[in-house]
Amino acid sequence: MDNNQEKEVLLKVEHLQQYFKMGKYENKAVDDVSFEVYKGEVFGLVGESGCGKTTTGRSIIRLYDITGGSVYYKGERICAGTRKYEDAIKAAYDAHFAKEITKEELDKILEINFTKIAAAKADHKKWSRHNGKNNLTNEIQMIFQDPIASLDPRMTVRDIIAEGLIIRGIKDKEFIDQQVYKMLETVGLVQEHASRYPHEFSGGQRQRIGIARAVIMNPELIIADEPISALDVSIQAQVINLLHDLSEKMGLTILFIAHDLAVVKYFSDRIAVMYFGKIVELATSDELFAHPLHPYTRSLLSAIPLPDPITEKNRKRIVYNPILDHDYSKEGPSMREVSPGHFVYCNTEEFERYTKEIQESEQ
Amino acid sequence: MDKKLEVKNLQISFRTQGGIVKAVRDISFDLYKGETLAIVGESGSGKSVTSKAIMGILAGNSIVEGGEILYDGQDLLKISEEDYHKIRGDKIAMIFQDPMSSLNPIMRVGQQLTEAMILKAKSGKKNARRAFNSMLTRLGRSINEADAEHGIDTRQLVAKQLKTFDSFCVTATNIEREFNEALGNLTQLENEADEAVLMLERDKKLDLAVTLKRIYRLYKGATNPYGLVANEEYTTSLASLSALASQGKNASREESLLVLRKISQLTKDALQKEKPNFFTMGYYLSVHPEADLTKMPIGEMNSMTREFLDKEFMLRFIETAKRGVYYSRKVSIQRKRAALKPVQEALKYFRTTKELDKKKAYAYVKKLTPMVNGAIDRLSVKKESVEYVFHSAFEGGVEAYFTGAVRNPIEERKYLSNKRRYEAAIAAGKKLDWTLKPQVVVDLELKRANICKTLENLCNCYERNIKDFKKFDSEAHVVEIIDYLKEQASCFVVKMNKKIAKAKAIKLMEEVGIPEPNRRFNQYPFEYSGGMRQRIVIAIALSANPDILICDEPTTALDVTIQAQILELINVIKRERNLSVIFITHNLGVVANMADRIAVMYAGKIVELGTAEEVFYEPAHPYTWALLSSMPDLHTSEKLESIPGTPPNMIYPPKGDAFAARNKYALEIDFELEPPMFDITDTHAAATWLLHPNAPKVEMPALIKTRIERLKKERQ
Repeated sequence: MDNNQEKEVLLKVEHLQQYFKMGKYENKAVDDVSFEVYKGEVFGLVGESGCGKTTTGRSIIRLYDITGGSVYYKGERICAGTRKYEDAIKAAYDAHFAKEITKEELDKILEINFTKIAAAKADHKKWSRHNGKNNLTNEIQMIFQDPIASLDPRMTVRDIIAEGLIIRGIKDKEFIDQQVYKMLETVGLVQEHASRYPHEFSGGQRQRIGIARAVIMNPELIIADEPISALDVSIQAQVINLLHDLSEKMGLTILFIAHDLAVVKYFSDRIAVMYFGKIVELATSDELFAHPLHPYTRSLLSAIPLPDPITEKNRKRIVYNPILDHDYSKEGPSMREVSPGHFVYCNTEEFERYTKEIQESEQ
Repeated sequence: MDKKLEVKNLQISFRTQGGIVKAVRDISFDLYKGETLAIVGESGSGKSVTSKAIMGILAGNSIVEGGEILYDGQDLLKISEEDYHKIRGDKIAMIFQDPMSSLNPIMRVGQQLTEAMILKAKSGKKNARRAFNSMLTRLGRSINEADAEHGIDTRQLVAKQLKTFDSFCVTATNIEREFNEALGNLTQLENEADEAVLMLERDKKLDLAVTLKRIYRLYKGATNPYGLVANEEYTTSLASLSALASQGKNASREESLLVLRKISQLTKDALQKEKPNFFTMGYYLSVHPEADLTKMPIGEMNSMTREFLDKEFMLRFIETAKRGVYYSRKVSIQRKRAALKPVQEALKYFRTTKELDKKKAYAYVKKLTPMVNGAIDRLSVKKESVEYVFHSAFEGGVEAYFTGAVRNPIEERKYLSNKRRYEAAIAAGKKLDWTLKPQVVVDLELKRANICKTLENLCNCYERNIKDFKKFDSEAHVVEIIDYLKEQASCFVVKMNKKIAKAKAIKLMEEVGIPEPNRRFNQYPFEYSGGMRQRIVIAIALSANPDILICDEPTTALDVTIQAQILELINVIKRERNLSVIFITHNLGVVANMADRIAVMYAGKIVELGTAEEVFYEPAHPYTWALLSSMPDLHTSEKLESIPGTPPNMIYPPKGDAFAARNKYALEIDFELEPPMFDITDTHAAATWLLHPNAPKVEMPALIKTRIERLKKERQ
């Protein structure tokens, strides 16, 4: 889409890698993920449990130190990993020992990569949590999945919500109280709730407290990590409506992580589907649901339960099996743009097939 | 349809620090055979409490205030813990929300699957033998009495027939056990051979000599019952295997691969073959103990033994048993006729009298209880629930009524000791800062209602039985009894050993869709993914072959694709085993493809009950509307209609309709009076004043209406 270029890119994730060490092996939780989030939009991240969507969110807000790739926020690099450069250095040394490149060439490669690593480390340090000046949490906030586990049971609601302001360095108690009360009203609670403890609230109200805590910092970007998965259906609607209102009123940008596709479709402007640490399809939400191309997206869509007994009883679920559905023996897959704004993880042969499908369906 | 489970006027509360929480307030529903009943509601609406009450695993601070849960003629709320052991898990199984917390993390999955099977086989033996014997003696006695009525003395003949029946049942189960053991051996052999073939095919390192020797030993030890493997093939493959095994290290890989493949194929075929009919075979062998049936093809043998049994024994036995069954039913009906009038009188007395007289009520108890107990037809396999419950409900009710206290020994002891202390202190002339609390008093009206209900049910049951007596089919009854005896007999001899249990467990794991069950059998729960873990939990629940499966939010912890898989699995298993399922969830969307009927619960009450089509296409209660409209689907673009507020605090249940405060369609009367269930169709009912003829007409929200219409269009 052309107007995408006009939109301001708020968050840009480039080749993000997040590996976890598990004994001898490395678990590639997030493996080479790239996407952009525009200002003012809701970006949905969907996938089954264990596919790395939560890890992506947590890496962006720097709860983890990322392994490779970089994350840009408003054009500035806020996270940087060094794995790519380290690999390049290793390869260069190997090549040198195998006498494929000379000493001069090796030195050149080393110099380039070492400067890059130094730059990455400097950027990384600059935006560290412990660096008071450039604190990221002023601008990016997170809402967690489980409202019971994410609220400190020994703190009153006022303390929980005000904690961010205090850390920021505000000492005026009156101002803090005023802000807290205002925020409580914004999320649909009342002033009296401020002196209570989290266990006195129901699930939906607790999640509201979590949202208030995030929104009081006046952030631009909110990472909502499955904020409704632990809630009842009727309460889910309350929380979705609240997030919706907030994003419209305050012009928030939201990175919405969930596995319930119906909710994501309702809530998001653009959606990325993740599978085993990789984004397999990325499109606007209408486009994704109208023309799902990747077989995994199709299998996800076919699993959404509908409130309709007759169609449900005749439903055929599509099963996704990566070994059967793809033939990557000749050519490996990569991210390609099938139609404007619609990216699919595929190889050339699949790419041609998908383009054809899109053209046919448009006719 | 058969009713499997009846819940009637169930009321449960919890004692908490803040006060008494009314969790379930007077709910009633039936569960039929082979159907899925979905119970939908918010957390705290009492749906899990209901299911826990059925399983008998309510928390310690719970009080069952009234009602009954009838299963197989027993009131589950009144039976002892000992009796519950026979039902819990065995007849009614449960799947919980979080699979990780229902599995033991330090036990291998296979062990967890087989543990219960082995324990159960050990304990079930005695009970089965007892039930079998008592049924057989009762049958014999009633045949003798029937014949004595006609002036014939057939006692010896009948005793002989019964003895034959008993002995060949034992023979049959012995054969079955041997057969099962042989099958267990064959499965083990198949597993080993398969694994060896796989290793050889992938050209992996394999100690060929050792493997061949082990498989040879297994193969030699595996008996070949009833020619499951064709005998020539058995001997030839055994010979070639022994030749290979004797070569030791020098055996060629290609040749051994061929032989092993052959063996695995042979055993695989053998395991899928038809099973012999042990029951008929048992009789044949008990008459001709020297006969060798192993050479015959199984189909032929089955029909031959069946004919033999029918001709020589069964037809005559059925003729004799028919007399006994008819006689027993006749006597029972006579007694019922006699008992009907006193029961009606008692009902009238308990219903109309305002102040119950102690002596009179006791007289009724003394008179009625033996009458009703005596009128039970002890030869019927299907138990009529009221008759069996009568004793505890009626007698217990009257007793509790007049002693004026809950007959709880601990409470009583506490009360007595307190009383003693109090009186001693008063006698010593002390001034106390506490007073003696009165003993917990029974809710009189509730007890009276319960007694009336029991008597009324009994009346109806008797009238129905007397009316049905004309159509009484004694032959069908005899067949039922024989089936029952067969079932019991198969329990008391078949021994479960580890091998059979493993074979069974692996079959179960295959049934619930776990790939490579042989390898997975020896893994720990943490090595499984969430969906696979839930499958294991389902397999464990199925291992005892239950009648009723209660699923308490089995998919809430799983994501969409896995959820769909698990739902499909439960559906398939339900169809194959003809299970009755109670499916508990808070998400209406999930149950659309599962449920036959749906009960929507709110604040401890069922507010709407109907078939799935009715609840989804013509919802009537505002709460159901709210649930449906708060759920976005792929076409929703307008603002969601959430339910404002939170569920009420059930320590202080609100006056009138509990949902009124959150309901935008609430009428004035909703705040005053609780709505009764209004019937919309035969199967569909809802508790809302909107259905009252005088109520203003209110349409369901536009969001749901357009959705239903759109879905209708899409279907066409």
